[in-house]
Amino acid sequence: MRPPFQRAEATAYVLFFATNPAEPAVGQPFTMAVSVCARAAGAAIPPLTVDAWMPEHRHGMNYRTRVTQDGPGRFHVSGLLFHMPGRWEVLFGFPTPSGATDRATATIELE
Amino acid sequence: MIRRLALLIAVLALAVSHAVAGALDLTEAERRAILRHGPWPEATAADPSNRVAGQPAAIALGRLLFFDPRLSVDGSVSCATCHLPARAWTDGRPVAHGLAGTDRNTLGLLGVGGQRWFGWDGGGDTLWGQSLRPILDKREMGGSLDQTARLLRDDPELACRYRRAFGHDPDQPDVETVAVDAAKALAAFQAELTHARSPFDAFRDALAAGDDAAALSYPPAARRGAVLFTGRGRCAACHVGPAFTNREFHDIGIPFFVAGGVDPGRHGGINRARSSRHGQGGPFSDSPDPEAGALTRQLALLHRNWGEFRVPGLRDVARTAPYMHNGSLPDLRAVVRHYAMLDEDRLHADGEALLKPLRLTEQEIDDLVAFLESLTGAPAAIPVGDPAECPPS
Repeated sequence: MRPPFQRAEATAYVLFFATNPAEPAVGQPFTMAVSVCARAAGAAIPPLTVDAWMPEHRHGMNYRTRVTQDGPGRFHVSGLLFHMPGRWEVLFGFPTPSGATDRATATIELE
Repeated sequence: MIRRLALLIAVLALAVSHAVAGALDLTEAERRAILRHGPWPEATAADPSNRVAGQPAAIALGRLLFFDPRLSVDGSVSCATCHLPARAWTDGRPVAHGLAGTDRNTLGLLGVGGQRWFGWDGGGDTLWGQSLRPILDKREMGGSLDQTARLLRDDPELACRYRRAFGHDPDQPDVETVAVDAAKALAAFQAELTHARSPFDAFRDALAAGDDAAALSYPPAARRGAVLFTGRGRCAACHVGPAFTNREFHDIGIPFFVAGGVDPGRHGGINRARSSRHGQGGPFSDSPDPEAGALTRQLALLHRNWGEFRVPGLRDVARTAPYMHNGSLPDLRAVVRHYAMLDEDRLHADGEALLKPLRLTEQEIDDLVAFLESLTGAPAAIPVGDPAECPPS
């Protein structure tokens, strides 16, 4: 059983996220609520991108996520579907002024 | 003396029972992996895009239409031409043959109501949309929206059953709406075709109940096959859960060249699903959900989708030979051998790093086949729906 919220860290941001349902099932769509805090006080939260892949299998999801902003630093992610059991890496991204992406990763393991 | 004998018998009985229980010889991890393939049947929800799903009047209309060749352009082909009830709703041919030959094997219909995507390429996200497609396909039935609507309007019994199912006369809506309604009735009928419980389910449920003695009645070869399937064989990476499918699409190295070109597989299916008027989010959907069809809109179209085809569920698989999207493998032994000796050069270079040749022994091939055969349930009666005469005599 995973804790209700997982933490992931980018260079400039800290994220907390929870999936709905709490235990995603293989082959079933699920959503995610994400809260983001900037490490620098008062810094704005940029748009968030979310993707996922299975490093061991070298494949990603069959769907593109849709991220909508629910409020300051709060996001809702749909279109998540893990089609195999095993270790999935969730990739969070924030654009930076230089054009690079500030990334955070987290792991979800499906039986 | 008698007391000693009784004690000896009791001790022997206990030893035998332990030996029997021990004979099951499954680790906790193996038990957990097997338990994930049940319980069966699964709970399923009615399709929200089909307002007549589950309704007896629609099931009765759908049954009539399913066996009616007048839906085809020349009156020679019905849905049941390729989906034969006695063959688990397949046809036993490598590829389907309606008015002409096609490029793909006929999929069985048992459990079709629980699918998310339909057809080998998942080119539709509704069962009713998928039911309309072969009626209009020139190689299959070659019919038309107009012909379908006319049949429902002109035939007294079909018109009567249409009124019962949809609450109005088939003369009222436009031809596309009537044809889509016919497809929704066909879908209502097909959604009732379900897989019966199999010997595997009795084994799995015995394990779940901790009843190893009952689990031992499952044949040893099938038991070894189940362990291989869920373990080292990694079959359960895609053939997952109670339905033995993740309901998605993969490239497993089956050639996809067809006469005159290639079968685009999932790549073409995604394009079709996105553009279909007969989908979850389309104008004919009955779903009240404003987000209906969201998953279809969020499909990722990738190069690796070329050569990907449906991961079929494996329940009743022993009754649906031949196998694969092109029907190229004649029996289950050939399917297992395909994975045993997989040609990795046939897989997409940018595809998954999951499939490796299993290099199975003959004994392991036998065991996997025994396991797959144990997923077979007894054939069920054809659903009737509303049995009342229509029109009433």
